[in-house]
Amino acid sequence: MNQLLTISFYGTSVALILIGLYAVLAKKNLLKIVIGLSIIDGGLHLLFVSIGYISKGTAPIFSPEVVGTNAVMVDPVPQALVLTAIVIGFAVTAVALSLVIRLYRHHNTVSIDEIKNLKW
Amino acid sequence: MVISPVHYIALPLLAAFLIPLLGKINKELVRIVPGLVLLYLSYVSVTLMTQVLQGSPIVEIIAGWSPPWGINLVFSAFSGFLVSLMTILGFLIWVYTYNFKPEESYSQTTKFYTLFMMLITGTIGIVITGDIFNLFVFMEITAISSYSLTAFYRERDGAEAAFKYVLIGSFASFFVLLAIVILYTQVGTLNMADIARKMPDVDPYIKGVILLFFFIGFGIEAEMFPLNGWAPDVYTQAPGPIAAIFSGMVVKAGVYALIRVIFTLFDVPSVLNLLLIMGLLTMVVAEVIAMRQERIKRMLAYSSIGQMGLVLVAFSIGTKDAIFAAIFLMFNHAVIKGLLFLSSTFMVYHSKGKEISEMNGLGKLMPFTAFVFSLGAMAIVGLPPFSGFWSKLYLLMAAADAQLVAVIAIVLVISVIELAYYFRVVHRIYFKERTSVVPIKTPTINAKFTLAVLALVIVVIGVYPDLISGMIEQAAKDLLDKQNYIHYVLSVR
Repeated sequence: MNQLLTISFYGTSVALILIGLYAVLAKKNLLKIVIGLSIIDGGLHLLFVSIGYISKGTAPIFSPEVVGTNAVMVDPVPQALVLTAIVIGFAVTAVALSLVIRLYRHHNTVSIDEIKNLKW
Repeated sequence: MVISPVHYIALPLLAAFLIPLLGKINKELVRIVPGLVLLYLSYVSVTLMTQVLQGSPIVEIIAGWSPPWGINLVFSAFSGFLVSLMTILGFLIWVYTYNFKPEESYSQTTKFYTLFMMLITGTIGIVITGDIFNLFVFMEITAISSYSLTAFYRERDGAEAAFKYVLIGSFASFFVLLAIVILYTQVGTLNMADIARKMPDVDPYIKGVILLFFFIGFGIEAEMFPLNGWAPDVYTQAPGPIAAIFSGMVVKAGVYALIRVIFTLFDVPSVLNLLLIMGLLTMVVAEVIAMRQERIKRMLAYSSIGQMGLVLVAFSIGTKDAIFAAIFLMFNHAVIKGLLFLSSTFMVYHSKGKEISEMNGLGKLMPFTAFVFSLGAMAIVGLPPFSGFWSKLYLLMAAADAQLVAVIAIVLVISVIELAYYFRVVHRIYFKERTSVVPIKTPTINAKFTLAVLALVIVVIGVYPDLISGMIEQAAKDLLDKQNYIHYVLSVR
């Protein structure tokens, strides 16, 4: 059962990354591309958290109930890193969206096919 | 105040946040404060560098968590040399930008300097940090501020170039983060010295996968072929001084990250062959494309990519002499390409297309700018007696020692191509009649100061290369001495 749970975590994260990749590579709409980038980020974050997960582990806090018992704790480092990565992902998405707004004002379209002042 | 490497991160970041507030007190502060911060950091660089050259690397512990648990900053001969180069170059570029567009509105100036300070924090952070995840964070700070600065001018196609950059940059950060995740599952630590210590126990296949992901991720930042599609447009669309920062600092930080990962973190010597091939490909493709460019910024951008390929080739030879040549090349490229970008910016200041043909006959109209540009062109090609000559000579000598005849041949052919396209521009500047009707913009006095200092550095280092060769030699030794790095970082308490 636990094995299944672990596999589903990894499976979901890989699936999210692939869905995001598909959106970035195949979609022509700038907004959809930005959403795709966000989904890739989400998949990567899930992958990172599941690596630190130990089945039946508790939160990594030395509370009075835990001290002295041999309770299993999950690895706190990936969680801390993912928090940072989420913030970074948020900032990149914000910048990307503001660029889409700028492009829309400039070209009056969000289709990547019609924005071709530079070579792609 | 005790001088410490923490100031490199803390002060520019603090300044970036305070600049909009300081503007409320006095509008001039927005433009002056970045310069003061960078001037102080240059002073810090000189002080720390003299300490490091006499003794051991300076390892700074953040918040009392000693390595391998906490984040630490490493100011060694190699990282210190690059940081010093970046801070001093950053200060010179600040001098240049001070009165760059006097008509620019106050809110635009505030944005510019806020992002400028963030960019400097990020690039210095990449070089100075001793923690792989911290490196990723600084890489993202650099990336986010670069995206915004690329789209700085509304009237150009900056947003389009920036969006392209966001797409490719996101893949860079994706691969780096993925590599860090897999690395963490294998070694259970994020401290770079600790990773290097535990690396021999990792399964070689997994090691290869991690290294490949790092290679792709940092390769994008280091303009490596074929991952450099963002560079020409970004250089063309970004403001002139920012293009100088991209080629002088951002790309250098990307190369540093790649080199640090390959030389210190991993013990896979065969990756150097891959690096050699990618370096040669990058160099040949970029220089050939550079020849066909009609726009000056695009030409300089492709030349920049080509030079980075040369640096990668030099690093990939892997002997101490070759690394010496590589670091010398990085120094020269930062100074000379900075000079070329900064001087050409004024030569095509009012022009819309920034075409090379619009530079016809500028030698008589802007004697000083044309002179420093030609000086930079001769130096980057590698003519004596300029500094570029020495770095190319050392590279060729190192390649000869390693018996890489093909590399020598390719580098020489590439030099001829470089000579051809740079002298095409110089020829137009001096020997053609002016046909363009675009008004001329004479450089401001502070811009002239920056250009003069950079030109002077090129000539002085060209005549007396010994002035910095001792420093670079120590930097090369420091990069190759992995055990020393591990020892110093992990023994700090």
